[in-house]
Amino acid sequence: MITASHPRAEGGGLSGLLLVALPVALLIWLVLWPVLQAVVGTVYFPGKGFSLSSYAFFFTDAYSLRNLWLTLWVTALTSALRVAVAMPIALYLRFRSGSIAALVQSLALFPLFVPSVLVAYAFIRVLGPNGIVDTVLVALGLPKLPTPYLTPAGPIIGLVWERLPLTLLLLLSGLGRVSIASVDAARDLGAGGLTIFSRIILPRIQSSIIVALAFNVLGLFSAFTLPYLLGPASPEMMGPYMQRTFSDNADPLNATTQAVITFAFCAAFGLVYVRAIARGRRGPA
Amino acid sequence: MTDLAVLSGAGKRVRRAAVDWTGIAFLAGLAVVILLPLIVTAVWAFAEVWRFPAIVPQRMGLGYWQDTLSRNDVWTALWLSLGITTTVTAISAAICFPAAYAFARLDFPGRNLLFLAFLSVQAFPKFGLIVATATIFLTLHLVGTFWGVVLIQLVGTLLYMIWIPVSAFQGVDRRLEEAARDVGATPMRVFWSITLPQALPTLFAAILITFVSTFYETDAAWLIGLPNVRTMPMVMISFINNALEVQYGAVLFVFLWVPSFLLMLAARRVMGADAFARGLGG
Amino acid sequence: MNRREFLMASTVAGLAASTRFAAAATRIDMYTSSDANVSDFYGNVVKPAFEAANPGLELNVVIARPQAALDAVVQRALAALSTKSDPQLDFIEQYEPTLPAGGIEAGLWTDFGKAGLKSYAAVNKLAIQTPYGLPYRGSQVLIAYDTTKLSKDKVPKTFPDLVAWIKANPGEFIYNRPDKGGSGNNFVNRAVHEVSGRDPLKFTVDNYSQATADEVLGKTWALLGDLAPSLYQGGAYTAGNTASLQLLAQGAVTMIPAWSDQTLQAIAKGVLPETTGLVQLTDLALCGGFSQAVIPTNSAHFEGSLKLADFLLSQEMQTAIIEKLGGFPGVDWSNLPQALHDKYADVIPSSIPTFPAGDWTKAVQDGWYRNVAPNISRT
Repeated sequence: MITASHPRAEGGGLSGLLLVALPVALLIWLVLWPVLQAVVGTVYFPGKGFSLSSYAFFFTDAYSLRNLWLTLWVTALTSALRVAVAMPIALYLRFRSGSIAALVQSLALFPLFVPSVLVAYAFIRVLGPNGIVDTVLVALGLPKLPTPYLTPAGPIIGLVWERLPLTLLLLLSGLGRVSIASVDAARDLGAGGLTIFSRIILPRIQSSIIVALAFNVLGLFSAFTLPYLLGPASPEMMGPYMQRTFSDNADPLNATTQAVITFAFCAAFGLVYVRAIARGRRGPA
Repeated sequence: MTDLAVLSGAGKRVRRAAVDWTGIAFLAGLAVVILLPLIVTAVWAFAEVWRFPAIVPQRMGLGYWQDTLSRNDVWTALWLSLGITTTVTAISAAICFPAAYAFARLDFPGRNLLFLAFLSVQAFPKFGLIVATATIFLTLHLVGTFWGVVLIQLVGTLLYMIWIPVSAFQGVDRRLEEAARDVGATPMRVFWSITLPQALPTLFAAILITFVSTFYETDAAWLIGLPNVRTMPMVMISFINNALEVQYGAVLFVFLWVPSFLLMLAARRVMGADAFARGLGG
Repeated sequence: MNRREFLMASTVAGLAASTRFAAAATRIDMYTSSDANVSDFYGNVVKPAFEAANPGLELNVVIARPQAALDAVVQRALAALSTKSDPQLDFIEQYEPTLPAGGIEAGLWTDFGKAGLKSYAAVNKLAIQTPYGLPYRGSQVLIAYDTTKLSKDKVPKTFPDLVAWIKANPGEFIYNRPDKGGSGNNFVNRAVHEVSGRDPLKFTVDNYSQATADEVLGKTWALLGDLAPSLYQGGAYTAGNTASLQLLAQGAVTMIPAWSDQTLQAIAKGVLPETTGLVQLTDLALCGGFSQAVIPTNSAHFEGSLKLADFLLSQEMQTAIIEKLGGFPGVDWSNLPQALHDKYADVIPSSIPTFPAGDWTKAVQDGWYRNVAPNISRT
């Protein structure tokens, strides 16, 4: 796989393996083995032999492809928006203290404690048709806004809101490793804000950004509740589409095929993170 | 640029007394985006009738509060949930943090492949694994038991508790560690006084995320927990899913505000910028 | 009471509770994912009556909402079949017996035709789609509308009138995605009936054929696709029965298809205003549906489960379904007192058209996603 050359290996293989043994055993027993069974079930049929027909169907079916495309598109847009919104807040929180900063942090982390179903309810009550925004606008004698409910914008707004704290937490924890002293020193040398950000801060929090993006992709590919409650009926994101194929169409073969394809996309993004970690292991540049 | 404003604020740390305009701007923005939906939900918890175009509910009352909180199952479920979640998080931290350290620092065969494999915890949709998982738990007689739910939820935490801490151990400044070792510190000493403090904020972020996401996890809990184990979000979701009355959900939501808020204050204390900077002498 | 005493007291209480379970009664785990009115009905009406009639049996009402939770439990029961373990599931108050895929073939569900139920002969023959499900209560979809925007005498009473009204009032009608709730589903089913000669008996569980489906459903998609631009937001579809009712409650639309019992309950609770009107189409009613109870063959308390099934078909429970749940009986009216029939004759029709589950429903639902839902012309 990824070759991580190791000029300064710190420990032997045995102690490493012992340390990871428990989680890895759990993983193999309760996740990898069932996943393997599911994957094999989509290509091997007892008595009939190997067949890739369900994959061929997916990649020739315009409807399925449109759903996959929508998922990729929503994932890209939502992840970008989350990082774009969370980054300024994280920078602010890292370099400021005091009661206002504490309040900002508490507010920004709050969505962490709100389950998706409630996000959807709150969304409908606020931005939905004749929700509180419309109510206020009408009371002020202004026209109603076109509501994002049941349009593609609906789930995107909901998803950014819901997972903003996760992105923020990861960026913030990464920023914890940027020492204020180094930023001050750079400033004394006359570096501008942008230079400090790109030269000093960004390299230190790279792995946090990548892990944040990786979690975003994972979460969005399996997102179910918000796309289903707030989005349009079609095209569907992969989460609701798989669920519908599985339970309403009672078609486990195609549902699992969709799951494997989704899984492959997530694994590709996961690989980026693993590569970054492997690169980092060689020691900071 | 916000970034610039933030950094210039940081640069002049001596002049703390200056009004924190950036903070106020963020606060105002977040108040609208985060607080408004929450307040509207909270008002719903007290509303008995609230129809467009009224700005405040036509009829308010505590009826839904009584209905919800007088139910025994809500309280039982809350304690049960806290118990399960704490157990899961503690076990997870105990087994995952050492593993994360190994993944970040040690070299052993199959390391990258195993590390990547943890992705499948979240990346493979649950419905594809239901039958296989149920078979395992049925043969072990864990269905409908506390420990069954703990085990299945523990598996669900592996990804967060390994991937996030790895980035922490990865980000620790090696030059500090080497400097300590050069002056004769033992490896254990280096770990406790250099590595761990630097990784701590990220480890706490992982614990916080794990705690909250385990608390609200339902997919696995339904499969393994029913009919005996009913956690708080299971009760909550059966109240609000397909219920015409938004109020039940709103009540339970407000009801959970208190523990959430306490957790968040704790988070600020641990992750807080100033406390941490002081620890580093920065 | 200090903390220690409290802990001791609760431990004792817990012990008492667990020994009571162990010693006294055989517990029947009955699952439901239906709305709160149904689970309340079980908790408040069925449970006390059943336990009084069957000493030694205890009914445990397990609420598994949302549907996905119940689906997981059913998959678990299927897995338990192959490992020969206790699925911890004895009875489901409503589940589609043709699911999960391969369930019937594996012998998961009990065949009620052969189970020897005392009252099985009384069940309404038209309601039986498969012997693996026991239709014990029904409900019907009708049209709910806002009388403040549309007066009673102007309400469409036939399907063509309804279509004309929707087109004349763009943005004022919405139905939910057919797989996410019966109200939208039965609206779509009614469109299928409309283009195929208004004869519900044309479609049965076992007469699905690709050729008929292509012809009939093709026309249905043309009809519904033509309607789409006149729907709410030029072709939006809600994610369920309740989401549609909430849009009606918020005054965002004027008219929706809705379940009769759910709507009546919503009006009673003040969720929908009292100015909500209800109307049924007169050329052919919108379809209804029967809730099918199922019993897994590997239930650990199989005899008790059968007793519960028989109990639900008893005159006492069927009367309660009509009077307390606002539902439609699962047994034939001839098995119920004449007086009851006369009393509810205005509210409850003598029969309700249905649409077959299984292949037809799958074809309609998946076809709708592929052919109707994407044709969204938003401006």
